[in-house]
Amino acid sequence: MGNKQTIFTAQQLFDRYRDLAPQLVPLDYTNHPDVKLPYELIGSMPELKDNPFRQRIAEVFSEDGEGNMTLDDFLDMFSVLSEMAPRDLKASYAFKIYDFNNDDFICKSDLEKTLNRLTRNELTEDEVRMVCEKVIDEADLDNDGRLSLEDFQHMIVRAPDFLSTFHIRI
Amino acid sequence: INDYMDERVDSNDPEEMFQNIQYQKEIIANIRTRPWPMRRKLKVLKQAREIVLKYEGRLTRTRGYQTAGADLLKKLSRVLYNIVVLFIPWEVRIKKIESHFGSGVASYFIFLRWLFGINIVLTIMTGAFIVLPELLAGAPFGTTRSKTIPKEHLASAQDLDTIWSLGGYLQYSVLFYGYYGRVRKIGSAGYRLPLAYFLVGMAVFAYSFIILLRKMAKNSRLSLASASDENFTFCWRVFCAWDYLIGNPEAAESKGAAIVNNIREAIVEEQEKKKDTSLAVLISLRILANILVLLSLAGSIYIIYFVVDRSQKLEQEKPELTLWEKNEVVSVVVSLITMIAPSAFELVAQLEMYHPRTSLRFQLARVLVLYLGNLYSLIIALLDKVNSMRPELSTSNTVRISFLATISQPEADSLSTLVSDISTSEHRNSAIATIAMVLDVTNSGRSSSGTISNQTALFEKNTRSQQEQCWETYVGQEMLKLSIIDMIFTVASILLIDFIRGLVVRYLSDCCCWDLESKFPEYGEFKIAENVLHLIYNQGMIWMGAFFSPCLPAFNVLKLIGLMYLRSWAVLTCNVPHQQVFRASRSNNFYLAMLLFMLFLCMLPTIFAIVRYRPSQHCGPFSGQEKIYDIISETVASDFPLWFSKVMSYVTSPVVVLPALLLLFMLIYYLQAIARSLKFTNNQLRMQLQTERTDDKKKVFQMAAARLQAPEAAGDKKPDQQESDVTSQEASIHTPSPRRNGSVTNFQSPVRRGNSIRTIAQSASRTDLSRGSVAGSVRSPAVTVLPKHRLEHIPNSKHVTSNIMIKKTIRPIHPVEAAGIITAQSYGGRRGHTTRYVIVNEHEPRKKLLRSATRIPRHYLMEESAEILELYPRNIKRYTPQEEEEVEEGKSRRRMSLGKAHRPRSLSDLHQPPHFYIGDRVESHMSVAKDSHAARGKYGAHVESYVKPKTRPKLETPLTESDSASLASSSDQQNSSTDQYIQVIHNKERYLKSDAKQGKLAKKKSKTSFDVNVTESNDLVSSNV
Repeated sequence: MGNKQTIFTAQQLFDRYRDLAPQLVPLDYTNHPDVKLPYELIGSMPELKDNPFRQRIAEVFSEDGEGNMTLDDFLDMFSVLSEMAPRDLKASYAFKIYDFNNDDFICKSDLEKTLNRLTRNELTEDEVRMVCEKVIDEADLDNDGRLSLEDFQHMIVRAPDFLSTFHIRI
Repeated sequence: INDYMDERVDSNDPEEMFQNIQYQKEIIANIRTRPWPMRRKLKVLKQAREIVLKYEGRLTRTRGYQTAGADLLKKLSRVLYNIVVLFIPWEVRIKKIESHFGSGVASYFIFLRWLFGINIVLTIMTGAFIVLPELLAGAPFGTTRSKTIPKEHLASAQDLDTIWSLGGYLQYSVLFYGYYGRVRKIGSAGYRLPLAYFLVGMAVFAYSFIILLRKMAKNSRLSLASASDENFTFCWRVFCAWDYLIGNPEAAESKGAAIVNNIREAIVEEQEKKKDTSLAVLISLRILANILVLLSLAGSIYIIYFVVDRSQKLEQEKPELTLWEKNEVVSVVVSLITMIAPSAFELVAQLEMYHPRTSLRFQLARVLVLYLGNLYSLIIALLDKVNSMRPELSTSNTVRISFLATISQPEADSLSTLVSDISTSEHRNSAIATIAMVLDVTNSGRSSSGTISNQTALFEKNTRSQQEQCWETYVGQEMLKLSIIDMIFTVASILLIDFIRGLVVRYLSDCCCWDLESKFPEYGEFKIAENVLHLIYNQGMIWMGAFFSPCLPAFNVLKLIGLMYLRSWAVLTCNVPHQQVFRASRSNNFYLAMLLFMLFLCMLPTIFAIVRYRPSQHCGPFSGQEKIYDIISETVASDFPLWFSKVMSYVTSPVVVLPALLLLFMLIYYLQAIARSLKFTNNQLRMQLQTERTDDKKKVFQMAAARLQAPEAAGDKKPDQQESDVTSQEASIHTPSPRRNGSVTNFQSPVRRGNSIRTIAQSASRTDLSRGSVAGSVRSPAVTVLPKHRLEHIPNSKHVTSNIMIKKTIRPIHPVEAAGIITAQSYGGRRGHTTRYVIVNEHEPRKKLLRSATRIPRHYLMEESAEILELYPRNIKRYTPQEEEEVEEGKSRRRMSLGKAHRPRSLSDLHQPPHFYIGDRVESHMSVAKDSHAARGKYGAHVESYVKPKTRPKLETPLTESDSASLASSSDQQNSSTDQYIQVIHNKERYLKSDAKQGKLAKKKSKTSFDVNVTESNDLVSSNV
């Protein structure tokens, strides 16, 4: 958390990336070497290690969907989670993060997982069920019992502090 | 992506090239907003850039350099931005706090920084226009009476005591109002200092107002949550709960706890809502609570006023009572009130049963009002004194003077002991300070009366025998003192409450019988709301005193800098985040609203003093004037040309002012009305959006349900795509392929499950929908069923034709396909295409479709692709290159349909063929057509037959089929029957075309020109009449 600049050059991010595993990442990227950092390393970054959704974030941004990130994925993650990223882009990635089963809808099971991660399983089952029902009730505009991306965006862009909280500083 | 990239049209048509370039540019511009992986983005971007460069190179050669320059500029601006960030004060510090404690705590520091910015501007204003000119060009210290320390004070002028109470040298400095000279113009340039003083004093308020309102407007624009009826409590609590900035295990821990609390609260609240505890009771409770709060507020204000008043009366009546004691009484009362009242409010707030966040806001607002009330009542008491002192000046009262002598000494003491009195709460201190101020002024008034009776020797410290006391300076002094004391108190509280406590908790918890860290003292919480309130209170003091003490903003700047460093240090070292999170992010206007409220109320006393009181006679820039604002009228009268003062006198006369006021009111009313109507429209649009989305979804679900019945599972993904086709018409770049599939699906769905009439209706209406999105008026003539209306229908549909001119050439495509499909299957449900397939008959007039069913499709395949290439209805530039895929799909579809054609069909299919054959003669068709639909179809047929009797039988048949199908289906059919009408017209055009081919019409006319249509319609109308 040393550098607090607002805009990063690719070089700075690359340095961060390389710092995670200097033995794996070559300094020379001109030949586009096929290097992936395992999720264990990504998830232990100070920016992510306290985040309950760190695994989802890594999965969403990694190309293989399992959290192992190439440099491109890494850059991608920080470009979306930077302060400068547009609201809709952030919203669509937030949607992906909360869509645990990758079916392009946030259904009840996704919501339950989200809640359990968020609250560290402190809520009872009844409470979780009720919150899930309420969430779907509130945001589901078309009454299909699950949240589509449109529903989610409609809801999230109205949240007063979505933009200020959905970003990561390096 | 390949879809996009295949769209390179290697044509030399400049228009097309331009469109393509525009499109690629659009891609480049929007690439950032795509939720794609980086690799894909890069690829698309590269390709798009290449295309743009290539084609634009053809258009303009310099373009390549331009883009290179733009790239360079972008990189430069990034570097520049990073450099600028370095210069934003405390950016790094705030971000560090943000990454530890989340955005809530950081919002306090951002607010502090924003206030700092405002104070910088205020300092520059007062410094550049008042203080500097006075220092540079004004009369130097000691030259005039108002700038000289009286001889009897000179000895003590450097004492710490005196300096501490802002007397002595400080009192006679640029810090305060009294020092400024009254000379009209100073320096060689003739700077009008008094005028500048007044104008800057007003500008301070004006600037603060403007900047505040602008910030608020910006914030409310930023947060889309304009409508309060949209309630996403739970959603936000779940999806926006986590602060992704948090990078500290402790903060994460407490954040997690806060989220759980928050959700539990919401659940409880929801259950309460469900319980529906009698609303009347709740409302009456809330009313009661508010009444209680109001009563306590009024009581506290009254008590303060009463105590101040009483202390002054005591002072007058009982000379033996020391002022110290009296001050004690007042300050004890005030501090008691400020200590007890907030907790009383908290108790009362429990009555109200608001949501915790709401109740916190209420609590804050009430405490703010309390602070204000205390401050206000003291200031009113002060102004009251200033006011009542005036008459006293003339009547000398020897009796009073005798005991005043005894008073003056302890009073000075009380001022100096004021500082050492920082014991419990800052408000107590402020109360003391203000009361001291009151007494000071009283004293000064008395001292002047003392002057009259020549007892000057008695007043050693506060009396200025030759000069009348300068009340403006006193107000300024007291404000500055308040600010200083407040600062000291803040520092002390941070050190004591946060730092020492933190030390104790951390290092003594081992040698204590209970856990200090989790039980009683704990670590200090960072209470965002209270701290923000304190900032607001502080700023209010600055605004209140800025007119009387021009250096107050400068002092405040220093204070805020100190506060920034101290607070951030304290937060990072010895605070834990507040458990109950008060979500006040940057886009929250609550702080600002409170600040605005504070500004307004702090401006009032100053304005009141300026308007109401006479400036001091012997000090300050306005001395010798009747009122402070006279400076304006004087300047206008003396320094401006005569006409200007005349104009001014007109402008300020009631004749102008009253209408202007009236106009303003009208304007406000008008704007408000507009805002209301906009809000209304907004709501309606939202409702409309919602219902439309619901409708769409319903249709899609019905389709999906129907599809499940179909044996073929091939088209499983289609409904989704089609759905997105309809809903995301606007997001065209996003969904090019779904859209393409959308039009395809229209053909596929009926083919696959021809046995369900309902499905047919669905697919038909969908066709209509997607088409309607292009030609908006398609639906309009839908509902009329009576043959009477035929005349209206025909022109109407003509109109529609003109609307969808673009689509004309696409029409034949569908017929071709439809012909292939329908002839093979004798499929009856597809009105739109059925109608069109007649055209096919026209197109190939002598072809026996039934017999050559297997051959025709292939034949048309070629033609179809060619036509699509020419004109595709949706978006030419986007879809033109897709003809191959289109063809591919067409082929496969056709193959499928052909394959099916040989198989035995379902019921509807089976009984359709007879229709087809029957349709060979008009009479039989008539007999089939039983209701208005059929009748309409018949008339359409008549029209056709009138134009060209030869093809009549073939034309009528499909119409009948479609109408009979629509008879069986639901009311959705209305739309589709309209659709059919349009197609009838199209058929005619096609028919004309074929006519032309036969040599009856000129070839150019056959290019579906308008003229033909019009004449045709005329023909029709006349014929029908």
